[in-house]
Amino acid sequence: MKKEMKNESNRIITVLVALSSLFIFLIVYLSYFEVFAADTIENNNYNKRIWMEEEYILRGNIVDRNDTLLASSTQSEKQQTRQYQYGPLYSHIIGYSNRELGKEALEKTYNKELLNISESTSINELRKIMAQNDLQQRGNDIKLTIDHEIQQYAMALLEKQKGSIIAMNPINGEVYAMVSYPSYDSNNLIENWDDIVEDEDSPLINRATQGLYIPGSIFKIITAASALENQNIKTNYECKGQITIDGYPLKDYNSNAHGSVDLHQSLVKSCNVAFGQIALELGQNNLKNTAENFLLNKNIPLDIEIKKSIFHTGKMNKPDLASTGIGQGKTQVTPLNMALMASAIANNGKMVQPILVKEVLSSEGDIIKTKETITLSEAISPEIASSIKDMMIDVVNSGTGKNAALSSIQVAGKTGTAQVTGQEDHAWFVGFAPADNPKVAIAVLLENYGSTGGSSAAPIARKLISKIIERIE
Amino acid sequence: MKNSFSFRAPQNILISINLIGLLLVALYNDSFNKSTIFMAFGIILIIYISNFTLSKISTGDQYIFLIISMLMSLSIIMIYRLSPGLGVKQVVWFIIGIVTLFSSYFFIKSIKDWPKWMIFYITASFILFLATLIFGRTIKGATNWIKIGENISFQPAEIIKVLFVFFLASYYVNVKKNKNKIMLSAISYTNIAFLFLQKDLGSALIFFAIYIIIVYVYEEDRKFILYNIGAASILAVISFFVFNHVRVRVETWIDPWKYIDHGGYQIAQSLFAIAAGGFLGTGIGRGYPEFIPEVHNDFIFSAICEEMGILTGIAIIMLYIIFIYRGIKITLEQKNKFYRIVALGITTLIGFQAFIILGGVTKMIPLTGVTLPFLSYGGSSLVASFASLGILQATSEIFEERRGY
Repeated sequence: MKKEMKNESNRIITVLVALSSLFIFLIVYLSYFEVFAADTIENNNYNKRIWMEEEYILRGNIVDRNDTLLASSTQSEKQQTRQYQYGPLYSHIIGYSNRELGKEALEKTYNKELLNISESTSINELRKIMAQNDLQQRGNDIKLTIDHEIQQYAMALLEKQKGSIIAMNPINGEVYAMVSYPSYDSNNLIENWDDIVEDEDSPLINRATQGLYIPGSIFKIITAASALENQNIKTNYECKGQITIDGYPLKDYNSNAHGSVDLHQSLVKSCNVAFGQIALELGQNNLKNTAENFLLNKNIPLDIEIKKSIFHTGKMNKPDLASTGIGQGKTQVTPLNMALMASAIANNGKMVQPILVKEVLSSEGDIIKTKETITLSEAISPEIASSIKDMMIDVVNSGTGKNAALSSIQVAGKTGTAQVTGQEDHAWFVGFAPADNPKVAIAVLLENYGSTGGSSAAPIARKLISKIIERIE
Repeated sequence: MKNSFSFRAPQNILISINLIGLLLVALYNDSFNKSTIFMAFGIILIIYISNFTLSKISTGDQYIFLIISMLMSLSIIMIYRLSPGLGVKQVVWFIIGIVTLFSSYFFIKSIKDWPKWMIFYITASFILFLATLIFGRTIKGATNWIKIGENISFQPAEIIKVLFVFFLASYYVNVKKNKNKIMLSAISYTNIAFLFLQKDLGSALIFFAIYIIIVYVYEEDRKFILYNIGAASILAVISFFVFNHVRVRVETWIDPWKYIDHGGYQIAQSLFAIAAGGFLGTGIGRGYPEFIPEVHNDFIFSAICEEMGILTGIAIIMLYIIFIYRGIKITLEQKNKFYRIVALGITTLIGFQAFIILGGVTKMIPLTGVTLPFLSYGGSSLVASFASLGILQATSEIFEERRGY
């Protein structure tokens, strides 16, 4: 009888522990929710609270690094209208703020700053009272790192060709230009929305950050870096223009035979035969590690939406691995990631976070917030970066990238021509300049252009670099 | 004497919170008038008198009522802020609740032979269920209301919950005589199935929790518990595929944003409110809890989180934990087996009901519409909760084990 009672008591205590645990779990969950999830949820377009705040605050301006006005709001009667001065030129960066369609890009990320919504609700309340007395409040302004002239020039260089161009400072991460074509106009969105959404060329996609492309030969920078990182890799090959791997032929461009090549020569001539075999020597794991040091398969923190570049993690057979080594296969990258890759080579192997917003300024013009440069990844050692830089200099001086060469400035770069099954090739160029003291790193992508990177992307890079150096000097 | 002293300090804290809270609400609403004064003093008076009376007539637990007073105070403050008219009505509901509490307390003590009435509990439950099926009206998607008179409707399930606890208790008191597990599970699952058919998933869950916990503690045949859990899991999975209303609940739980235009709207609004509040809240009257449909009923917790912060939310959760602790303590100390099981059942009933709606509005578990005990706005569920409380208060007094049971 006694034992029975003891049993019962023990079980009752188990019930107490179980029920209490449910509630304690609830407390933990609620705290987690508030700390980690609340911010994202609050900014959902269905949250009417956001719009409640906006009625009495004039949304702040967005300007470029030289104070060129890019977006502004005006108040008329009871309605606020947002105007985007350059429409499609900035839609992928600035996005839009629209009652029906919600918010996108920087308008979304910096919503609180643009409205100057304080963390303190008492201050917000006070503003509401002041607003009722016709003292309208102004939000903060945002200054971008973008240089309007460079942005405009980059868009002009694309010549209505699908693709993307990015130019950034490789040392501090400031982005000077980021264009993506086709684009859409953030003004008059409602009227044109159906056309925009139905357009087969997907103008809503920011190709710089959300477009995933086969990299082609620009990926050889990563393969070369991996070969330098892993000692005892055979890097000297005899190129006959073609090699057969497990029955699959791996060809060079036009089956050109490059003869006897070392790693340096292989990159300068963009030799597929050599890089295919180097990839096999390295093995999938080593190549993957180097690629992930360059932030493929990783989240790159950015103020606007960005996709992860993909390095295939499933099992690869030999032909797959060889074609991955030359930038074909299943690898897909964002143009921004490739601009960062070039930046890392320019910046002694250090990859810095790309910055789009330089400062947040109060309506009186005081700086409230500035962005610090953050190193995202020590992709490679300074020694390896220096070796690859030498190779990239020769690519431009005597290799596939001659069209990017400038007489006054030493440019370093790498071309790429990515083969896409059933479609025209993508043309790529990544690089930086001046080689000895890099001030700008760029990536140029021409989507399904059907020409080599050297003949089409490299000249665009040359013009843009020349323009940028001239402007920053 | 010692007893009457021990509750004074918490009672005074309670009164202070009431005064501050109501003052804030009154200032916000610019509604400092007769009804505000009626309310403020009404609540204070009710709490003082009830506590005093309870300490004089009951030798049992003196803390549970303080916990409930705190919850009710928060409830009245929040509902008054949402709508002054409803706030005043909630005070009236509070008074009705307290009358119910004392009535059920005396009623339980006046009858000694509760375990003998097992057949009655079963019959009464089924009659009520049948009545719901025949006369039932659909309110908020669940067909579980019966209308009596012009403006009064009630959910029979609230009464059946208590009958169910009594049924389980009398079964296990007379377990040697009954020894019929098939009857036990058949009756229990019929109850649950009825609720399920009425689309009252929340109550079905509560019934199952009460059943499984009492079986867990009192069933000799340990395998029987596993069979039950196994069978229930299989049924749950099947019902997900067969019943649309179950699937909708689960889908809107997994991704409310995808279904925000239809099923996910309420839960999304609730999450916006909780997110807007932060740890300290926006301040009473400074948020927008009225964006949530039915905020004064099932979603009162989200409104409190928005304006008083999740720290207040956590405090409320802790109050429920203390409530459960007191309930379990009563269970452990009670010598009479019948009252022991009843105390356990009622503690589970109120505790688990609180959990599933708290978990529901915060999206920790799928949302099933039940009221939050002692916080949601009035109605039959509040009265039923107070009735259960009266029973729990009675069981907190020592009853000797009677021979023959």
